[in-house]
Amino acid sequence: MKTVFSYVKPYKWPIAIALILMLIELSVELIQPLIIAKIIDDGIMKDDVSVIWTWGGVMMLMAIIAFLSGATNSFFASHASQSFGFDVRTALFKQVQQFTVATFTKFPTAGLITRLTSDVTMVQNVLFMSLRIMLRAPLLVIGSIIMAFIVNAYLAMFLVIGAPFLIFFLYYMVKKGVSYFALVQVRLDRVNRVLQENLQAVRLVKAYLRGTFESSRFEKVSNLLKMDTVKALRVMEIILPLLLLVMNISLLAVLWFGASEIKSNNAQIGELVAIVNYAMRMTGAFSMFAFIIMAFARAKASAERMEEVLLVNEGLERDEETGKMLGTTEGEISFHNVTFSYPNSLEPVLKNISFAVKSGEKLAIMGATGSGKSTLLQLIPRFFEATTGLVKVDAKDVNKWSLDQLRQAIGLVPQQSLLFTGSIYQNLAWGKIEASIEELQHAAKQAQIHTSIEQFAKGYDTRVGQKGVNLSGGQKQRLSIARALVRKPEILLLDDSTSALDVKTEAALWEALDKEQATMLVVTQKIRTAKGADRVLLLDNGQIAAYGSHEELLETSDLYRQIAESQQEQEVPAHATDSI
Amino acid sequence: MRQIPFKPFGYEPVLTKEDITPVKKKKGERAGDWQGVLKRIWHLVDEQRALLVTVLLLVFVSSTLALIGPFLLGKIIDNYIVPGQFAGLQTMIVWLIGIYFFLSLSMFLQNYWMIGIAQQTIYRMRTNLFAHFQKLSVSFFDKRQHGELMSRVTNDIENVSATLNSSFIQVFSSVLTLTGTVVVMLMLSPLLTLLTMTIIPVMFYSIRWITRRTGKLFKEQQQAVGDLNGMIEETISGQRIVKAFSQEDRVTDEFIEKSERLRRTGFWALTYSGFIPKVMNMLNNASFAIVAGVGGLLALNGQVTIGTIVIFSEYARQFTRPLNDLANQFNTVLSAIAGAERVFSIMDEEVEKDEATSKLNTVLKGKVEFDKVSFKYEQSDDDHTIRNVSFTLKPGETAALVGATGAGKTTIMQLLARFYETNEGQIRIDDIPIHELPRQTLRSQIAFVLQDPFLFEATVNENIRYGRLNATDEEIMEAAKQANAHDFIEKLPEGYDTVLTADGGEISQGQKQLLSIARALVADPVILLLDEATSSIDTVTEMKIQEALERLMKGRTSFVIAHRLNTVRQADVVYVMDQGQLMESGSQTELIAQKGLYYHMLNEANV
Repeated sequence: MKTVFSYVKPYKWPIAIALILMLIELSVELIQPLIIAKIIDDGIMKDDVSVIWTWGGVMMLMAIIAFLSGATNSFFASHASQSFGFDVRTALFKQVQQFTVATFTKFPTAGLITRLTSDVTMVQNVLFMSLRIMLRAPLLVIGSIIMAFIVNAYLAMFLVIGAPFLIFFLYYMVKKGVSYFALVQVRLDRVNRVLQENLQAVRLVKAYLRGTFESSRFEKVSNLLKMDTVKALRVMEIILPLLLLVMNISLLAVLWFGASEIKSNNAQIGELVAIVNYAMRMTGAFSMFAFIIMAFARAKASAERMEEVLLVNEGLERDEETGKMLGTTEGEISFHNVTFSYPNSLEPVLKNISFAVKSGEKLAIMGATGSGKSTLLQLIPRFFEATTGLVKVDAKDVNKWSLDQLRQAIGLVPQQSLLFTGSIYQNLAWGKIEASIEELQHAAKQAQIHTSIEQFAKGYDTRVGQKGVNLSGGQKQRLSIARALVRKPEILLLDDSTSALDVKTEAALWEALDKEQATMLVVTQKIRTAKGADRVLLLDNGQIAAYGSHEELLETSDLYRQIAESQQEQEVPAHATDSI
Repeated sequence: MRQIPFKPFGYEPVLTKEDITPVKKKKGERAGDWQGVLKRIWHLVDEQRALLVTVLLLVFVSSTLALIGPFLLGKIIDNYIVPGQFAGLQTMIVWLIGIYFFLSLSMFLQNYWMIGIAQQTIYRMRTNLFAHFQKLSVSFFDKRQHGELMSRVTNDIENVSATLNSSFIQVFSSVLTLTGTVVVMLMLSPLLTLLTMTIIPVMFYSIRWITRRTGKLFKEQQQAVGDLNGMIEETISGQRIVKAFSQEDRVTDEFIEKSERLRRTGFWALTYSGFIPKVMNMLNNASFAIVAGVGGLLALNGQVTIGTIVIFSEYARQFTRPLNDLANQFNTVLSAIAGAERVFSIMDEEVEKDEATSKLNTVLKGKVEFDKVSFKYEQSDDDHTIRNVSFTLKPGETAALVGATGAGKTTIMQLLARFYETNEGQIRIDDIPIHELPRQTLRSQIAFVLQDPFLFEATVNENIRYGRLNATDEEIMEAAKQANAHDFIEKLPEGYDTVLTADGGEISQGQKQLLSIARALVADPVILLLDEATSSIDTVTEMKIQEALERLMKGRTSFVIAHRLNTVRQADVVYVMDQGQLMESGSQTELIAQKGLYYHMLNEANV
């Protein structure tokens, strides 16, 4: 609660003003009965028309003042709550941007989305309401109690006799409510997750006719959401009836003991009536009160969920040394006895890996499915840190690099070419927003995609759907390569990203890439690609099975020979006509 | 004054002049709009209407009890305490205890049931929307961001939910109280009642002034939420790219821009909707003043008594309170309608329709025929993605699709699975045009291994079973073995019961493809579509599963997009595609003999 609450601070002035305006409004309401009394006593009773006119006018004036302060309050309260929400959202998003890849496994996307939208809205709304109406109820209750004590302390005591019990009860309810509402938000995460999966897999769902199956899966999670929402709300619903019951019984106690007090002449009837009146006012405020408690519990649950994100301290991407290196990156890469296992598993994916790639060299990484090729690449831009051993770029431990500088030097082309909603231009410029059109087209030409783009009706302005749904596999891969090339990186990491390209296009691509003078690490299945590399690193089950040039490996490694043999025959020249 | 826009705290105005000018002609239409939305929500309440009536009855009971309580209290004071007569006081108090108890009980019960009704309705709305998603065409999803659609199922529906929980009861009890109060007021003084009523037209106009703005603003706000949600979903899903390109700052800027839009619309929506209670308060205070002032003058003439004024002023307050509540509810309802409209707009999207159900149980043999098929993804596209493609594939034959990326190979497969409808020409299976086949019949006999393998956040077992839900564990394991996935599955922490996470990294892309193949093996289809099903699998492993794939293709009509010459060689027929056109077709030997496009492609590859 504390951390989230600190985001309210910058708006203490608008909040203070909003509260003052609310108090003005409230006091007008309280003064009005007094004016009526004045009109009756001094006006009607004394047959004085002018008094009636004057005070009637004053009442009208006050009504206008109350309205003006109320309406102005609206501006301040909206401003404070919306800006608070905005600030918290920004803080959350910035924090999420700092998460390491490993931290993301702890916070699934769906959960983060809920926190950034639903949870923020929850807290923001409560803030808004508390600036407008919430204080009213407690003020009214407290004011009434004070007035009751002034009138007759003995009788007023009976009004608050249930208070200790109520306070304990409310405390308990808030605690329960927080945990229940937190559960509701967790259920919402699940709903979000199933939904997101369904949208991502829309073709698969359709191909296998799993619409009904998916619906039943969704029904399951939304049923849980329903059940827990119902449970949480119902528990909260106990508050008001119970508050009312206790209050009404206390009221009857006041009557009962009041009667005997009057009998023994310790109290006046007027006093009793007054206290009964105050008690009734309190009950009137109770429904608001119960509502506040529920809102508070709900907001607290959401605030705590946001804090889970805001307070993440480990698992953030941080630079050990802030001092940036001077000069340009050479692009040398070396691994020294690197062993790595994913955070949640014990089995290492990479075991004792050592190799070195000089600046401008090209290393092909080969190996069976699941042998650790992609994982190896991920260690270089520090997506994950080596469990033991060192990964060095330019002879400097990657952990000692400034992340920004390290990643600036790297162009990564992932296995799945993740494109974003937007035009092709926007996707190309994604890694270098200031890139000129010429630069973008140059990169597109290098990646052998320029001609294809030109053939689209809208050319570079063609809109790409989420994850590039409207492009073919090969087009996506080449766009993804071009996106990396735009940055002119010193190190180029290609994770099996030419798998959908034909021989001719691929050859042209490599030719263009070789001119780039970048250090290249290329994960590939193709012997042909490996042949063009300076050296080949063959992985088997996380270990280096062979390391050397294509020719060396052909002689020394059985596994490599086996792979080569499996590719004896030529590949299908399937995609050769791309540039026709 | 109009030249200088009003920008409190620097918030740019959101509404334009057109937004708030009342459009006379559209008025009926618009009213019909939200009435329609309410009607549809009402429809979702469905069989719970009986329970809803019970709830309303309970509201009636509690409202009555809430009136009787104070009434008896007054009686006690007047009849027992003031005269100092205490005999019988005990009985009265016992009565009151009973009344208060039942008041609390009926309040609890009405809320208890109402929550159930509301949440059940919301549940139905959510699941209906989701079920509707399942029926929409692929092209619907191509154009939309996941996060934006997700926002409708969560944020927009939550908006409706918050309203349903409280509004029904509130509105009904307000109407009840209002009626009761007006009756009493009329009995006390018709004249003063009339005077109090003068605020109603003012109220009406001011509420209209406000809701004309808020209605629009709430809509904008929900749109902004959806937009933001879309951005968050896409960015966080693609976080590795953000990191690899160190674009955190830029993405954050983009986020802030969208978040700022939400803040702006939120500010105006809240501010305007916040006016309603304030206006009501003022009218309330004004009516108070009217009663006091005019009542005072009338009292001077002896037309009303002082007592009446005192009591009446109290009732006038009671009169405006439920009005105030109603006005507040009106606003919540408006924001709920803004949410509901976005939900229903999806529900109104046209679903994939099946023309004939008579062919529901057709068992396909697998003859596939393309007859002058042309297709483009967007009507606005200049060029067709598929141009005048015709071929016939006999049952059990295997066709290899060959051609550059973007030549239309995947599109051919997607058309066959009827993800999209052809623009011209016809696709026939067993001489039945596919649009006459129910999708269920068609797709239940097709297995499609997609280019991008997708795994659900579920166990390995469940992921393979997705191909055929009633597959036994043995069948699943057998399929995994054939797909060469068994070995690595066994190495996972919990074998087949290991839960795969979205971005956990425990499974490589190639392994995902192996699991997708296992999934297709389990499905046992008549027609098999393999779209680059082995692209991320190393060649040694691929050789191992080649046999399984061949066995899988045997006796089934298969379409294959692959790089391996082996696969192509084994195909009965090769279709060479270029820029959406079918250039050549025939067996590999025939095509080589033809010395056409395919032959040249082979030669190029040999260089």
